[in-house]
Amino acid sequence: MATERETDRGRFTITQSQRDRIARFVRKFRSNTKAMLGFSIVVLLVLVAIFAPIIAPYPIDATNIEDRSQAPSVEHPFGTDDLGRDIFSRVVMGSRISLYVGFGAISGALAVGAVVGVVAGYAGGLTDEILMRVMDAAMAFPPVLLALTLLVVLGPELSNVVIALAFVYTPYIARVSRSAALAERNEAYVEAAVARGESDSRIVFSEVFPNCMAPMLVQGSLNVSFAILAEASLSFLGLGAQPPRPSWGLMINTGRGFMETAPWMLLFPALAIGIAVVGFNMLGDGLRDVLDPKVEAIE
Amino acid sequence: MSMYNYVVRRVGFMAVTLFFVTLIAFAVTNILPGDVALLILGPNATEQSLEALQTQLGLNRPLYVQYIDWVVGLLQGNMGESLRFGEPVAQLIAERLPRSMMLAVAATLIAVVLSVPLGVYAAVNQNEAPDVSASMFAFVGISMPIFLWGLVFILVFAVWLNLFPTGGYVSPSEDLVGSLTRLVLPAGAMGFALTAYIMRMTRSSMLEVLSEEYINLARAKGMSQRVIVLRHALKNAIIPVITVIAFQFSYAFGGVVVLEEVFFWPGIGRLTLTAIQSRDIPLIQGCILVVALIYMFSNFAADLLYAYFDPRIRYGGDD
Repeated sequence: MATERETDRGRFTITQSQRDRIARFVRKFRSNTKAMLGFSIVVLLVLVAIFAPIIAPYPIDATNIEDRSQAPSVEHPFGTDDLGRDIFSRVVMGSRISLYVGFGAISGALAVGAVVGVVAGYAGGLTDEILMRVMDAAMAFPPVLLALTLLVVLGPELSNVVIALAFVYTPYIARVSRSAALAERNEAYVEAAVARGESDSRIVFSEVFPNCMAPMLVQGSLNVSFAILAEASLSFLGLGAQPPRPSWGLMINTGRGFMETAPWMLLFPALAIGIAVVGFNMLGDGLRDVLDPKVEAIE
Repeated sequence: MSMYNYVVRRVGFMAVTLFFVTLIAFAVTNILPGDVALLILGPNATEQSLEALQTQLGLNRPLYVQYIDWVVGLLQGNMGESLRFGEPVAQLIAERLPRSMMLAVAATLIAVVLSVPLGVYAAVNQNEAPDVSASMFAFVGISMPIFLWGLVFILVFAVWLNLFPTGGYVSPSEDLVGSLTRLVLPAGAMGFALTAYIMRMTRSSMLEVLSEEYINLARAKGMSQRVIVLRHALKNAIIPVITVIAFQFSYAFGGVVVLEEVFFWPGIGRLTLTAIQSRDIPLIQGCILVVALIYMFSNFAADLLYAYFDPRIRYGGDD
């Protein structure tokens, strides 16, 4: 593995050895049950979210007082809520919110965290100290508390949830990227680039960066599940998505008041959260097994 | 690096982090939309009374002066006064913090009691039915948000089985039994969520130890499986587990914000939410700071334990 890696590091054109590497990755990925299972769940979720308006049999805000709080039936597979809305339709449409927040927040966190981490790891010294101490400070807050605080400032709205969670998860990505960059810094190909007289920024962004992608990818996909969970918690507390949006966390919050008479109001959105989180967790875990980067999961 | 040097270095780091933490807590609450004076006096306040109050509260001073003032106050144990309760923030927090601690400690205990035996059992029966089911259990455990476990526990144990109250808090000094019955569900729900991580760690640590040479030797000498597992392997496998437990405690403490809301548990988590909902800035600052401090210190303790048991960490000076 190590020798083969050495030969093609830091090049952008796809060479034969890179093609081999990708083929090997695909082969390993496909033989990893966990990765494949997680991948299938994630793909399914994405498909549900894309085709949600077609899948959902009822409009999400179609209230029908006569049909309120009905147990699951053929017409309403997940039952109806206290306003007579079809829970199946709302859960299906809710997948859009969860994925929007999950992917949105982590893309933001990756964009900032990866740059901070790689720069800190490559530069070392004072730059590294300052950047990482700021990251440490952000990590000194429990994630949900920090997001809550930020939402107080930004206002309770879905797009702000994305911003707040991107902020919260940036340091986790930065940490992983930093240790990856730290390991790369002493590699022969970096020394070679320095000897060729390449500029620091070129070395960092076009040579070190691509080689740090694997651990970032793993951490990223694990963090998507955390972000989905966090969105549910925030919406549950009333600081995330606002009614009548079909956020799973918000639906659980409403369902809480009808636990004795209509437990399905709580059960199905909860199940949806569970499936989404299991999917991204499995994908992340599986990717870690396949890519084998030297990272520790930061729980 | 010696342990002593490592500790000194880490304490130094923590002081720097602490400075940033106060900065974040201060900054976040001071760029809040909505003037504090306006919040106190209401929308019908006159221009003059607003200005008078702003002067009285020192809100028209430069931000850095306000920050320094706040930090100096903190060092003297003065966290300001809550706008909503009209009581000192420190007193409000001191009253509620032990309740949250009680919850987090009970949850961690429950998690340890459940997860360590489960992890050992899974490792001994590696890749067999008990191991696979324990791993699946662990996966489900971490995939549900803590508040959801709380709701499920309420539904099953309070609403359907009617075994415990659905929520609330009674001081143990007033009514010990009543207090404990109210503790069982929230602590159980959180403990359940924590079990997964500790179990996974116990399992992998046990597997590693069980593959060691001296275990084979013990087997060759004809020792019983029971003695090998409990007396020899567990003793060595437990070290990384202890570290994870310390990390989990801080995680539990971070989770109380949401869980307390589910169980109407009047700890620091609900206090924080109340503060946020009523835009009680001094109280928000105080709560954020205290929760962050506890979170930070328990993570620090976990790091120290880790370094103590695993000297390799100390040599990697850069990390």
